[in-house]
Amino acid sequence: MFDFRFYEIWRSQEFVQALIDGALTSFWLSSIGGCLGFCLGLMLAISQEKSVFWGIRYTARSYIELIRNTPFIVQLFFVAFGLPLLMDYQWSFYASALLAITLNFSAYFAEIVRSGIDSIDKGQIEASKALCLTKRETLMDIVLPQALVKVYPSLVSQFIFLFLTTGLVSEISIEDLTWAGRFISDRNFRDFEVFIVLTVMYMALAWLFKLLLQLLKRYAFPWAEAEI
Amino acid sequence: MNFMENLFGPFYGNMIGLLLSATRYTIYLSLAAFFGGGLLGLILTVFKISPSRILRWFATGYIWLFQSIPLLMLLFLLGLGVPTFYQIDIPPWLAAGTALTLFTSAYMSEVWRGALESIPTGQWEAGKAVGLTFMQNLCWIIAPQAFRIAIPSTVGFMIQVIKGTSMAYIIDYDDLMRWGKRIANSQLDGAEPFVVFPIVALIYFSLCFPLSLWAKHLEKQARDS
Amino acid sequence: MNKENLAISISGMSKWYDDFKVLTDIDLSVTFGERIVICGPSGSGKSTLIRCLNHLEEHQKGSIVVDGIELYPGMKNPELVRRTVGMVFQSFNLFPHLTILENCILPQRRALKRSKEQAREVAMKFLERVKIPEQADKYPRQLSGGQQQRVAIARALCMEPKIMLFDEPTSALDPEMVSEVLDTMIELALSGITMLCVTHEMGFARKVADRVIFMDTGQIIESNAPETFFSQPKHPRAKEFLGQIL
Repeated sequence: MFDFRFYEIWRSQEFVQALIDGALTSFWLSSIGGCLGFCLGLMLAISQEKSVFWGIRYTARSYIELIRNTPFIVQLFFVAFGLPLLMDYQWSFYASALLAITLNFSAYFAEIVRSGIDSIDKGQIEASKALCLTKRETLMDIVLPQALVKVYPSLVSQFIFLFLTTGLVSEISIEDLTWAGRFISDRNFRDFEVFIVLTVMYMALAWLFKLLLQLLKRYAFPWAEAEI
Repeated sequence: MNFMENLFGPFYGNMIGLLLSATRYTIYLSLAAFFGGGLLGLILTVFKISPSRILRWFATGYIWLFQSIPLLMLLFLLGLGVPTFYQIDIPPWLAAGTALTLFTSAYMSEVWRGALESIPTGQWEAGKAVGLTFMQNLCWIIAPQAFRIAIPSTVGFMIQVIKGTSMAYIIDYDDLMRWGKRIANSQLDGAEPFVVFPIVALIYFSLCFPLSLWAKHLEKQARDS
Repeated sequence: MNKENLAISISGMSKWYDDFKVLTDIDLSVTFGERIVICGPSGSGKSTLIRCLNHLEEHQKGSIVVDGIELYPGMKNPELVRRTVGMVFQSFNLFPHLTILENCILPQRRALKRSKEQAREVAMKFLERVKIPEQADKYPRQLSGGQQQRVAIARALCMEPKIMLFDEPTSALDPEMVSEVLDTMIELALSGITMLCVTHEMGFARKVADRVIFMDTGQIIESNAPETFFSQPKHPRAKEFLGQIL
């Protein structure tokens, strides 16, 4: 009934190496994609402010809705197979994966950051006005730093959720953790054990991300952590 | 399919017809996952807030587990892992349906628990004071109030479910995504990836976007009242 | 009265929120150096009135001139008037992500383009004046309400305004912290700055106000020296109001 043979994975150095390399690739893709996605998301959130030209506002809004209402895998395939044909220039699949992850993450982050901006107390904006700060200064110096702290937990859990979907990049032959799993199970036919190991590794990576992001918070927002 | 061919010409009409008929299976899977996951999630929610410690622990463990397992891994485990391990045949629809149900139930019960907990404890105590049992209290006093709070996020999560079904093609479930990929791989002129995937995206979008508008509308309604 | 000498002159000013009229035909002149206390029941429009003076709210009818600058609805550069008008809010509105010192420095750096050193010097000067220089490196939430409000006063003073507006500065405070804020305000009043103060602290009004203005239902219904106002209020609503709060 439970005849697990995990040694079918450990006994091969090739398999273990594939898992380690795959985990590293998954880690880096999500980290870099996450950072780029956050920057893009921030810009998208800012460009939805009332003061911005309506054309830009409208475009940002449409982009966010488009990404949030279509599956990642379709976006990935479009970026990896459609876009290069359209632009008549073939780039590497890693670039495609990174681009797709960035575009995908950015829309979700933008939505969260915008909700944070909307939730800032009106008094803060009035005080900024009374102190002659311009709209831009108010947004960048006063509203945004507070909004980011407020939504930080949501950003983290959204990031983790999105990270757990990045296994799909193995579909465009990125040698990430999921790819490593399929590589091994195609050879030792122990699919169940392999995917159990993979699941545990994904959980461990998610936990690692949470830990790192917690540390980052302490570094990025010292005031939110200050003792009373 | 004649209607499609008249509208888009024979080639595209045929293609869009194929995609739309495959969309049925995306919708079936979404509905199955949503209702199956909803039912399971409901039971879990009751477990989670029940007086019994064992049931609470079980629910907590379950929710934690199925929120941490990537949906993709769940699909692989049920679609490839279990069949090879036990030497049995699991049809893709069953594997995909089960995986998505487990996934949905964990997230749904989290949403509903949040809604239940947002009801002030005074309401529970009032129910207790007039002699209602736990289940009576839950069904007649708390749940109706929590329902209104939970509805926007529940509708919103439906979008997650629909997007989630797109991964099922990986274990050969014959849905919109799989047909999209198949057509894009066909090498036919006019069925290039940059044509097919936007069409696929558009179909997904037309399933999700109305729900997302509806969720926003409900949220606004809840806020205003 | 010489027009040049007027800090604020309001005539025939009215304001609506949609269809609801909050201020009706306000006429008010304030000379430089005058200290005015505005009181009245809640919803009488007193906060709205002083918020119109630095264009946080727009009026729809009549005219407001502050320090020689005419305010009008939809004006493009309200900074002009805000530069000479400082404001202290009921809920302090300190910036929680900046230290006390940074709270005072940032607006100077941005709006007055002062150098970091200069801004710091000015900030410390005013923090000393409100008697909390030792808290300079703390964050607002580490301070008591009274201390926060004093910082808010210092922050407004750093911009070196000619006119200070106070919007119920002690209403959000615990009773034991009211006096420290009032002491700061009294000290400020004695320094000769023009002040408009919405408050129910009648002791403060008696001590420093040149004039007490009583508002009800969006109108100024009484304006008098504090002694006269407190001892023989003319209007029955003012009598009733004083009976409630004294």
